[in-house]
Amino acid sequence: MKRKPARAALHLGVALASIALAACSSSSKTQDAGTSGPGSGTITVAGSTAMLPLVKDASAAYQEQHKSVKISVSGGGSATGINQVAAKAIDVGDSDITAPNHPELVDHRVAVVGFAVITNPTVGVKGLSKQQLRDVFAGNVANWKDVGGADQKIVVVNRPRSSGTRAVFVKTIMGTAPLSESGLVEDATGTVVSVVKQTPGSVSYVALSGVTAGGVAIVAVDGVAPSAGTIVSGKYPIWSYEHMFTNGEAKGEVAAFIDYVSTRTDLVQKNKFIAVSVMKVKETDR
Amino acid sequence: MIALQARRSRRTERIAVTGLRIAAGFVILAMAALLGYLAFEGTKTFYVDKFPLWSFLFSPEFAPDANHPGAAVFVTGTLAVTLFAIAIGGPFGIAVGIFLAEIAPHRMTQVLKPAIEVMVGIPSVVYGWLGLTLLVPLIRTHTSSPSGFGLAAAGIVLAIMILPTVITLSEDAFRSLPGALKEGSLALGATRWQTITRVLLPSASSGLAVALILGIARAVGETLAIQMVIGNATQFPKGLFAPTAALTTEIVTDMPGATAGSLLEHALFSMAFLLLLIAMVLIVMVRFALRRRA
Amino acid sequence: MAVTTTRSARSVAATGSVRARKMADALATGVLWAMASSIIVLLAAFLLYMVYLGGHALTPSFIFGVPKETTAGGGVGPEIYNSFYILVLTLLFTVPIAVAAGVYIQEYARPGTFRNVVQFSAESLATVPSVVMGLFGLLVFVYLFKWKFTALGGALTLTLLNLPALMRVTQEALSSVPDTLREASMALGGTKWQTITRVVLPSAIGRLTTGVVLIAGRIFGETAALIFTAGLSVPFNNPYDLNPMRPAETLAVHLWYTHSESIVPDVDRIGNGSALVLLIMVLLFNVAARVLGRQLTKRFTGRAS
Repeated sequence: MKRKPARAALHLGVALASIALAACSSSSKTQDAGTSGPGSGTITVAGSTAMLPLVKDASAAYQEQHKSVKISVSGGGSATGINQVAAKAIDVGDSDITAPNHPELVDHRVAVVGFAVITNPTVGVKGLSKQQLRDVFAGNVANWKDVGGADQKIVVVNRPRSSGTRAVFVKTIMGTAPLSESGLVEDATGTVVSVVKQTPGSVSYVALSGVTAGGVAIVAVDGVAPSAGTIVSGKYPIWSYEHMFTNGEAKGEVAAFIDYVSTRTDLVQKNKFIAVSVMKVKETDR
Repeated sequence: MIALQARRSRRTERIAVTGLRIAAGFVILAMAALLGYLAFEGTKTFYVDKFPLWSFLFSPEFAPDANHPGAAVFVTGTLAVTLFAIAIGGPFGIAVGIFLAEIAPHRMTQVLKPAIEVMVGIPSVVYGWLGLTLLVPLIRTHTSSPSGFGLAAAGIVLAIMILPTVITLSEDAFRSLPGALKEGSLALGATRWQTITRVLLPSASSGLAVALILGIARAVGETLAIQMVIGNATQFPKGLFAPTAALTTEIVTDMPGATAGSLLEHALFSMAFLLLLIAMVLIVMVRFALRRRA
Repeated sequence: MAVTTTRSARSVAATGSVRARKMADALATGVLWAMASSIIVLLAAFLLYMVYLGGHALTPSFIFGVPKETTAGGGVGPEIYNSFYILVLTLLFTVPIAVAAGVYIQEYARPGTFRNVVQFSAESLATVPSVVMGLFGLLVFVYLFKWKFTALGGALTLTLLNLPALMRVTQEALSSVPDTLREASMALGGTKWQTITRVVLPSAIGRLTTGVVLIAGRIFGETAALIFTAGLSVPFNNPYDLNPMRPAETLAVHLWYTHSESIVPDVDRIGNGSALVLLIMVLLFNVAARVLGRQLTKRFTGRAS
C-alpha cells in the first residue's frame, strides 16, 4: 500500500512518455473497449500448445458458421494462457493444468488429453516402468543399455518451466524426484517432436495430439501403451484435462465458443483427444 | 510589410525549434521510462521477494519454485557465448576492417560493402534457422555431442552476426587515422604489413576497442538466433558442445509462462534489467574509449 | 605519439632481410584477401543454400495463402502483410520523431547538458537488446494500457528500438551537407528554419532515404521485440485487417513460431520458405535503398551520388 504513490508516479511517467503515442491511437481506444465487452466479435485465445490443434480446428469451424466473430488462437504454453487471461491480456487461456493460484479464473474442461513418452527410434526401448522413467528423467541413468535399450547416451529433452505438459509429467511420473537440468529444453510440442526425431538417444514427453507423423517411438508405461481406451479406463497414468479459463464467468460469444469446443466431439477425437463425458476415472485436480 | 514577414518567420522559427526540442526530449523520456520501469520491475526480486542480490548473481541453482532464483548459470552462459563469439568474430572482423581500409581495391570494396550491409539486414531468426538446419546437424555428426545444440553452435552463429559491426567500426577506425602516419612509415622502408601491425594497429587501438565493445554489446543482447541453437539447458556449459542457456534465451524461454507477480517473473525482469545495465556500462566504456582518442 | 611509432617502424624496417619482409607482407596480404573473400563466399553460400532449401516452397499458394496450424499446405500471406503493416506503422512514428530529434541535435543544439543527455540516451537506447525492449513493450502496451497483443503495440515498441539508429542516420546525412550551403542560404536572408527545410534537408534527402530504407529492412525482420507485443497469431476471418488494435504475427515471428511452437507436419517447408522470403526482402530493401537514395539526391541537388 505504501508503495502505491511511487508506482502511480512511475505509471504516470510512462504514460507521459507515451502521450504522443497514445494520442495517435485515440481512434483505436474505442475499438479496444469493443473487444473486451460481452458479446463482442473478437475472441483472443492463447496457451497450451498441446490444445492448439483442437482449438484451432474448432475456431475455424466456428468462424465458418459465425462470420461476424473473429477468433485468434495462439500457443505460448499453459502458464502463458493462465497468466495472460489472469492479466486480462486475452479472453480465454488454454491450459493442461489447473490454476489453483488464480481464484478469479473460471475453469471449463473441454477435453481429456493423454501424453506419450517418446524416444528416437534408435533407442530400442519398447516399455519402461514408472521407476525407470523417473531414473531416466532425473539423470540417474546415463545410458539406454541400463534400461534395456541400445548402447547409447540418454539425451533428455524437457519443456520449459511454464509448460503444462511438463507439469503433468512431473505430477504423474516424477513425483518429488527432480527433472534433470542437463537436458535440452525446447519450447513446445512441435519442436520437441522434431528434436527427438533428429537426435539419437533422445527422450521426451508430448501430448498424444502432437505425435501426428512418424519418426519417433512411443514407450509403454508399466506395460500399458497410451490410447483412448487405456486412458478412459485409468490404466495409463499420464493424462490431464484440457482447461479453457476465463477471467470471471464466460459471457456471450466467449461462452458460446467454449461450449462449442467441448461439444464438437468429432473434432476432439480427430485430434486424438478424449471427450470429458466418456471418462470412467474422475479426478478433480488434473 | 517586410517587418510583418520577418515577424511571421520568427514565429515559425520559434514553433519549429520547440517541436524539434520536444522530439529530442522524447528520446530522453523514452530511455528514462525504460530505465525507470525496468529498474522498478527488475529489483522486485530483491526488495519484494527478499532474495539477496549476491545469490542472484552467483548462485547456480535456478529454482524459482523453491524460492531460489540463482542466475549464475545464465550469466555464465552469456559470458561464455559472448567470449566465444568475440574470440572468433573480433580478430576476423578487425582483419577484414584492415583489408577494407588499407588493401581492398575499389572493385572489391564495391562487392564487400553491400555484402556486409546485407549481413546486417538478415533477420536474427534467419541466422537461427540456418544454425538449426546447417550447423546443429553438422556438430551432431562430427563431434561427440549427441544433440548438436550447445555453446559452440550458439557461439559460431553469434560470431557471424557480430562481424558486420566489428568490420564497419574497425574500418572507420583505420580510415580516421591521419594519412601522414602511414606515409611516414612507408617512406622509411617498412612494408605495408609492417606498417599495419607496427604503426596503424597501435594507433587505431581505441577505435578498435569501440568496435569490439559494440560487437560485445550486440552479442550480449542477441536472443532468438541463439535461443534456437543453444539447447536452453539450465546448467553451466560443461564443454564447447554441451547445451547451456544465456540471460536472453532464458527470458524468451520462460517469460511467456511466468505468472504475473511470481518470483520467476521477478527474476526474469531482474535478468532483463541486468542486460540493460550491461548495455549501459558498455556504452560508457565506448564513450571513454572515444574520449581517449580525441 | 606519431613520432615514437614512426621510430619503431624505422627500427623494424631496419631489421630482417628485405626478402623475408616482402614475403611476410605478401603472405599477410594473401591471408587478408582470403578472409575478406570468405565473407562474400559465406554470404553467397547462405543465399544459395536457402534458395536450395526454400526455392520449391515459393509457390503462389505459399506466398498468398493463409497459414494452417495443424495440417500441411499453409501459406504466409497474412504474415507478409503484417510485416509490411507493422513496418509502415513503425516508420510513421519513427521517421518524424527521429528526423526532428536529429535535426535538433545536429543543427540547433549548442553543446551542453541537454544535448549530452539526448545523445547518451540515444546511444543507450541503441544498445538495448531487442528482447528487453519487448518486455518493456509488454509492460506498457499489453499490461499497463491493456491493449492485449496489437500491431500498434508492436509498432510502438519497434519505434523505440529504431529511433536511435534513424536519429544517427539523420545526423550523418545532415553533417554531409557542406556548411557553405547553409552560409549561402543565411546570407541570402533565409532564417535557420528556412535554410534547413529548403536547403539542408533536400540536399540530405538521398542519404536520409538510403538510411531509412536500410532500417526498414531491419524492422521487417525484427522478432524478439514483437513476440511479447504483437503476438503470435493472425485473425482467421479477416487476416488482412487494417485495424491496428489486433494481434499481428509477422513473417519473422512466424518463422520462429513455426520452429518452436507449431505442430504442422511441413514445418521445414514453411520454415525454409519463410526464411527465403525474408532473405529476398532484405536484398530488395538493400537494392531499393541504393537506387532510391541515388535518384533522390540527383533530383534534389542535381549532383550524382
